[in-house]
Amino acid sequence: MTAANVYQQRPDDSVKAESPLHHAGFNELAGKGKSGAGVTLREKKLLAHLTLRGDSRDPAFAEGVHNALGLELPAALSLSTRDHVSLQWIGPDEFLLIAPRGEEFAIEQKLRLALGEQHIQVVNVSGGQTILELSGPKARDVLMKSTSYDVHPNTFPVGKAVGSVFAKTQLYIRHTGDDTYELLVRRSFADYIWAWLQDASGEYGLAVEG
Amino acid sequence: MSQINRLASGGRIDRSKPLSFTFNGQSYQGYAGDSLAAALLANGVDIIGRSFKYSRPRGIVAAGAEEPNAILQIGARADTQVPNVRATQQALFGGLVASSTNGWPNVNNDLMGILGKVGGKMMPPGFYYKTFMYPQNMWLTYEKYIRKAAGLGRAPTENDPDLYDHMNRHCDVLVVGAGPAGLASALAAARSGARVILADEGEEFGGSLLDTREQLDGMPAGEWVAKVVAELKTFPEVVLLPRSTVNGYHDHNFLTIHERCTDHLGDTAPMGPFARPARQRLHRVRAKRVVLAVGAHERPLVYGNNDVPGNMVAGAVSTYIRRYGVAPGNKLVLATNNDYAYKTALDWLDAGLKVVAIADARSNPRGSWVEEARSRGVRILTGSSVIDVKGSKHVEAARIAAIDPHGFRVTSPGEWLECDLIASSGGYSPVVHLASHLGGKPTWQEDILGFVPGNTLGVQARVCAGAVNGVFRLGDVLADGFEAGAKAASETGFGAVSGELPRTEKRIEEPTLALFQVPHDKPTARAPKQFVDLQNDVTAAGIELAVREGFESVEHVKRYTALGFGTDQGKLGNINGLAIAARCLGVNIPQMGTTMFRPNYTPVSFGAVAGRNAGALFEPKRYTALQAWHVKQGAKFEDVGQWKRPWYFPKAGEDLHAAVARECKAVRDSVGLLDASTLGKIDIQGPDAREFLNRVYTNAWTKLDVGKARYGLMCKEDGMVFDDGVTACLADNHFLMTTTTGGAARVLQWLELYHQTEWPEMKVYFTSVTDHWATLTLSGPNSRKLLSKVTDIDLSPDGFGFMTWQEGKVAGVPARVFRISFTGELSYEVNIQADYAMGVLEAIAEAGQEFNLTPYGTETMHVLRAEKGFIIVGQDTDSTVTPFDLNMGWCVGKTKPFSFIGWRGMNREDTLKAGRKQLVGLKPVNASDVLPEGGQVVFEPNHPKPIPSAGHVTSSYMSSSLGHGIALALIKGGLERMGQKVYAPTRDGRLIEAEIVSSVFYDPKGERQNVV
Repeated sequence: MTAANVYQQRPDDSVKAESPLHHAGFNELAGKGKSGAGVTLREKKLLAHLTLRGDSRDPAFAEGVHNALGLELPAALSLSTRDHVSLQWIGPDEFLLIAPRGEEFAIEQKLRLALGEQHIQVVNVSGGQTILELSGPKARDVLMKSTSYDVHPNTFPVGKAVGSVFAKTQLYIRHTGDDTYELLVRRSFADYIWAWLQDASGEYGLAVEG
Repeated sequence: MSQINRLASGGRIDRSKPLSFTFNGQSYQGYAGDSLAAALLANGVDIIGRSFKYSRPRGIVAAGAEEPNAILQIGARADTQVPNVRATQQALFGGLVASSTNGWPNVNNDLMGILGKVGGKMMPPGFYYKTFMYPQNMWLTYEKYIRKAAGLGRAPTENDPDLYDHMNRHCDVLVVGAGPAGLASALAAARSGARVILADEGEEFGGSLLDTREQLDGMPAGEWVAKVVAELKTFPEVVLLPRSTVNGYHDHNFLTIHERCTDHLGDTAPMGPFARPARQRLHRVRAKRVVLAVGAHERPLVYGNNDVPGNMVAGAVSTYIRRYGVAPGNKLVLATNNDYAYKTALDWLDAGLKVVAIADARSNPRGSWVEEARSRGVRILTGSSVIDVKGSKHVEAARIAAIDPHGFRVTSPGEWLECDLIASSGGYSPVVHLASHLGGKPTWQEDILGFVPGNTLGVQARVCAGAVNGVFRLGDVLADGFEAGAKAASETGFGAVSGELPRTEKRIEEPTLALFQVPHDKPTARAPKQFVDLQNDVTAAGIELAVREGFESVEHVKRYTALGFGTDQGKLGNINGLAIAARCLGVNIPQMGTTMFRPNYTPVSFGAVAGRNAGALFEPKRYTALQAWHVKQGAKFEDVGQWKRPWYFPKAGEDLHAAVARECKAVRDSVGLLDASTLGKIDIQGPDAREFLNRVYTNAWTKLDVGKARYGLMCKEDGMVFDDGVTACLADNHFLMTTTTGGAARVLQWLELYHQTEWPEMKVYFTSVTDHWATLTLSGPNSRKLLSKVTDIDLSPDGFGFMTWQEGKVAGVPARVFRISFTGELSYEVNIQADYAMGVLEAIAEAGQEFNLTPYGTETMHVLRAEKGFIIVGQDTDSTVTPFDLNMGWCVGKTKPFSFIGWRGMNREDTLKAGRKQLVGLKPVNASDVLPEGGQVVFEPNHPKPIPSAGHVTSSYMSSSLGHGIALALIKGGLERMGQKVYAPTRDGRLIEAEIVSSVFYDPKGERQNVV
């Protein structure tokens, strides 16, 4: 184990939790609005988010991660997924792990055990970010209004994940299905992104899922 | 008035859909498919505006982007006003309201016209400089009236109800222009499978093919256009953008396209199925290859009184006849130096109208179109041109005389021919604008008498096709376009394509004769005005004068005469102007060169430039997890970077000062609560983490034990403070650094920069956790009592000392609590995963009622810390301040074994010298005075002016705890001047006297934070 402070930061599920877009009231908005919307949005909230840093060129690092998670290290700009756990390449020495709510503490322990004395960093960032899933036939158009990255399937196929400018800020875009994308949004920017997405999808019609 | 100039048949208009519109308050009718200019001409509207300088009546001259005169104000309501719209590029819609942008009091009866006649000499080139400069203080008055008279459109005075947005696009091939070359090009590229964007400024694709008399495959050219467009629509990777002007060609093959999505539909964008769509859209395109198929602009000839309404460019006349079914007159005189203009005479004849004569400057033209005109009985005067025009508000007659273009003289007395329309053609200028936007100089091509796109300097990955390349014959244009499209596609990795191009008619086309300004029998200076640039009222005589006065560079001639300025940027006049300047200087045109071409090709509305980055979306707003609670408490907010932080929490009837005084008192007397979540937080792990801190902070970190926290200062290499904060040791190899709110991102970048570029061997990683943790600060003598009600952590002074941290539960939620203080009071900073912060806050607020727990904002925080002399980086520092200047030498580790960032900088001669500004406290002698923040202070108020500055005030407040004003200030040699006086002038002329004191005003021994 590395000499790091590891502790359970999340209380049990009986304690009130507010995701970054809690007050947007997605549950109340769900099912409202005109039918035939071109874009559907939902918050995949309160998941376990962990930043994992280590030397991806070191086979021992990849092996340790595999032992702990059963996942291969994703190649540059891509996403490995197994069951409900995804591992996203952020940089040559940085990965983002997203897992079901509440698993972050156990996963961090598992990772630290598997990686032993290697120089790594595991940081719980679950409270600091959320995922907005954007889907529907016009989802790509909304992305085109928002980012200068080329989101055409030729250059941005399913399984790819990139960080880029988005409106006047930055975020990660993950292409998870044909017409489905995930936006990894920092908590403090969530209101701005939500306002931006409502505006950008206005002409196509926006449906919200609770 | 009926549409007196509308032909009985023909044109691409829909006569079953009449549309009403108004121009200068009068109602007219046109048809769906008309441009506004076509509808005005159909109704016989001659005078469209008054000229800029001489206030002469002006009419429509052209049919496209090059139109200099028909620049109108559009909009039915105050909030839908759009200035400077080219009537030639505005589609007609029902209810359109247009007016002239100039003409005072109105275009038909213009006061300035009289002034212009008598006062023409008042406004020679350079008239701004020559006439109106003296007396200097009258300039503003002069300018107001010149502007009003000249008129350049009115900006809307109310908020635009429409929205404008941006779309990012990427493609293999962007084809600019959908005329014959562009369509053929797009077809070739599309067939290869490439991602293609085809953009054209027109209402529909086709360009010149929409009004040409030439046939393709023996059919009207429009049918081929329809076939191609239909095929292009079958390709999923082809994007078709009509009404879309490619306005800028920027670095890295980034181009901007201005699409007018709904400008053709109405005054505002009509409602869509879900929401109102964008009125205009700016496409930001990254193209691997660009095909420029942008065509050419026909040049008019420059002859006497060539600005009288009824003088038009020849091709435009054909466009109005064939595309819009409008003939702007009955009796045509055509002046030309080339074959193509003969098509206009033939079109005129086909419309059943009279061609009075054709004046061809060439001595013996024998091309196919010439012969066709001749065989239809048209009188052709060779070796001749129009040299003068009769008529004031409309053309009445043209004077045609024999000319010697090389000798620049008139060789016969000529004759006056009665007519009501003069069409002229002086050849064709390739539209080299986009090709030149990145600095590539266009090159002169003598055989076509025009500039063509020059060297790309390697910065434009583009191919040019068709007329812009100097290729004018239709069959060649199509072939050139197809080849260019195929080439562009293959250069981006797509395979060869084939396809049959339509058959064109065979004919003889003869060369154009070089003729720009037509000679007159009087010298230019005394001849009737020969206009070169109609929008700016630049005449041939004006250019001659400029040259005579010594302006030889084309850029100087432009600026002295105003040639090529304005909303049309001289699209019609520039080449003629160059040619005239070259003639006067006795050089050839390529030696003269062109002026710079800059984006945008045509004007773009501010709305399209701004896109959605306006109003509520102008700038990201960042909120903490506790925002909803702050709003409920009635907080006023302050911008700190992009963050919205509670500034103060006024109760009913309280202003800022009253609220802050109450909040300060609550903290000093009992307990206050601050949302400190915005502070930057960086998680640092690795065996070298501690040594890394030693190097980036000025102080030492070697001996900080697990469980403890320490304040640190960070400097840039120059030794100047750039951030500060408390860093805690969480485990041997694990630290949590805090930064200032505004500095969070730049500190993380700074750490990564040094790690990646200077010390890559160090084993350390950094991750931002700013958004993960919410931070609640409880501060005040009752903070321990309050916190103890909601936590299981041992808060006893021995169990939880100052500058240490503990883990435990607060309100049932796992927390990390730091005992640090920015107020000087006993304080705890409670960190919770942000998702759970609201519940914890509510529990603390509930528990705090018995202690009068008071939420406070940044203003109170500023006062409280200033009372303690704690700095705020960026307020009390400004990148010119070392730790020693701040009297914080205690925070510099002078004996650290490895140097640290800033050590060398702070030991330079200049940073060590005496007399530097140092941070001290200032106490106003009069207790009710508050020094002006940011203001200068002096030592000797009676010193003769200018009085040397003693320094400046960085922070200043009324301290309700102390009962007097306090300030922090950077004063020259301040630490050696304790007890001395400084004087601060105020805006109302008073002088505030203040004493230099220690920067720690409150609790100088620091006992309160250790209250038991």
